[in-house]
Amino acid sequence: MNGRHLTARRALLTSVSTYDQKTALLFLFPMLAVLAVVAVFPVLYSLWISLFDLKLSRPHRTPFVWFDNYAHVFQDQMFWDSVARTASFTLMSVTAIMLIALLMALLLNEEFRGRRFLSAMLLIPWAIPYVANGLMWKWIYDSGYGALNGLLYQLDFIDKYMVWLGDSAKTLPLIANAFIWKEVPLATILLLVTMKSIPADLYGAAKVDGADLWQRFIHITLPSLKPGFALVMIYETMMAVRHFDLFFILTEGGPAGASHVLAWDVYVETFRKLSFGTGAALAYIMALVTFVLAYSIIRTIGKKL
Amino acid sequence: MRIDSLGRRTLLFVASITFLAYVLAPIAWLVSSSFQSESEITSKPPHWLPHQPTLENFTTIFTAKDQVVTYETRKEGDPATGGFIPSTAKYLLPSMWNSFVVALAVVVLNLAVSIPAAYAMAKIRFIGRSTSIYFMLVTRVIPDIALVVPFFLFIQKLGLLDNLLSLIITYLAITVPFSVFVLVSYFESLPDELDKAARVDGCSRLQTLIRVFLPLAMPSLVAVVLFTFLTSWNEFLLALMFTQTPASQTMPIIVASFTSDFTISFSFINAAGVLAIIPPVILAIIFERHIVSGLTAGAVKG
Repeated sequence: MNGRHLTARRALLTSVSTYDQKTALLFLFPMLAVLAVVAVFPVLYSLWISLFDLKLSRPHRTPFVWFDNYAHVFQDQMFWDSVARTASFTLMSVTAIMLIALLMALLLNEEFRGRRFLSAMLLIPWAIPYVANGLMWKWIYDSGYGALNGLLYQLDFIDKYMVWLGDSAKTLPLIANAFIWKEVPLATILLLVTMKSIPADLYGAAKVDGADLWQRFIHITLPSLKPGFALVMIYETMMAVRHFDLFFILTEGGPAGASHVLAWDVYVETFRKLSFGTGAALAYIMALVTFVLAYSIIRTIGKKL
Repeated sequence: MRIDSLGRRTLLFVASITFLAYVLAPIAWLVSSSFQSESEITSKPPHWLPHQPTLENFTTIFTAKDQVVTYETRKEGDPATGGFIPSTAKYLLPSMWNSFVVALAVVVLNLAVSIPAAYAMAKIRFIGRSTSIYFMLVTRVIPDIALVVPFFLFIQKLGLLDNLLSLIITYLAITVPFSVFVLVSYFESLPDELDKAARVDGCSRLQTLIRVFLPLAMPSLVAVVLFTFLTSWNEFLLALMFTQTPASQTMPIIVASFTSDFTISFSFINAAGVLAIIPPVILAIIFERHIVSGLTAGAVKG
């Protein structure tokens, strides 16, 4: 294996022309430079910062404290609470996104008049800014005059207007709902592509064997969709864990910390308490968590495939 | 051949209506309330369609720069918007211009960086090819929030806080990896023979790229331009950190500042929201096919 790899490498070495090698590096240089400055450097720099007790409120004394910032973070109950909130937000969002996207993709996979129109409309939530999404749902959830209250009242589900975002039991699911609405289109598109790649013969053969619609769905469609589901799960988990915008617009971590998730914690530590060292440590932990999550999802699902 | 039975048609119809209601109802409500006056928007139960549609909210935004907003004027202001004209209203249009300038600059720089890199990765055999591809993969999973602290200190040192340049630089970080992936997968799908033929005809690599591949890659270039533009137009977190005054604040920041002010009427905020979503919605509908194929290419590769 290794020997063959080496031979292949030597063959590559001799076959690559110096002209090609030079051009390729020249072509790659701008991208590598940009990524080095704006991605690699910040990641290393923030590791460095996270080892200092760096507070902007006290800019001239910034002692090197080794891993004290990390120790503080791990001893802080607020941190573990925000981990729990982030986990529950992510779990709710990703599950719902996959379910709704599956239903939508099944619909768009059919041939009917109006299908093109539906798929064009589907892109609207995907395209709009999160800030606009946030203000839209803030107004829908408004306890005084919002559409949610109005609709439920007119349908007689509630007999008086209710508090929504301000109710700490409902905050996270409601923010998740706004997140789900915006993320479903991309998930649908990804599932739809996987669906379209299922060979039609499979269904034909199953029909010959007498499988009904439901059996075909369970035994052909769902298993074939695994790569699509894996992709959606990884991508949406990464997006949900790091999500910030809606928490800022809708609740600012409230009420009483009910939506104080990890991303919000980074923001509060860094820009409200101005302790950049802790903020950097938190952000680093978050980046690692995202990475580990993505990796473990790939591993577990990859094995089952 | 499938037979269009009545049952199937009914099911598809019901499903389509549910689909459209889910996707469009929140937007419809946003648009509807942006055409309602303050007195109408506060009716219980709500008016799903404006009974007396008004453009007042929009004219307030477009004429805001000529108005002096004080406590008194806000209190006495015209009833259509409840008088609660935010003192930051006049910054909305300039902030949209800022967003546009940033997005345009990011698009241009992004293309200049991504196109040659993607071509090299897809069509040239060279040492370090797989390393550079892995490098790209890793940069794609770095969460933007992890970049906030180092970026802030770095940009502060450069003296670029509250400068559009800080946004242009950092938005490159979040858009370039994705663009390269979309382009690599597109270039790879074009036959190698094209490359060889052009080279035999005496084209240099650069000429091959410009004359042969770029014209063929138009669909994926359109997708890349759109993604980059929309990402920059919509970006919130980094802009929140790096901009401090209206001179550099982008649209999402100004709109967010409206939502955190409890005295501002929702009819006004909704009008701002409608203005903010018009460009993305138009682009999404016109270029739907490009976006869908670009998204799948980028996602499958990544």
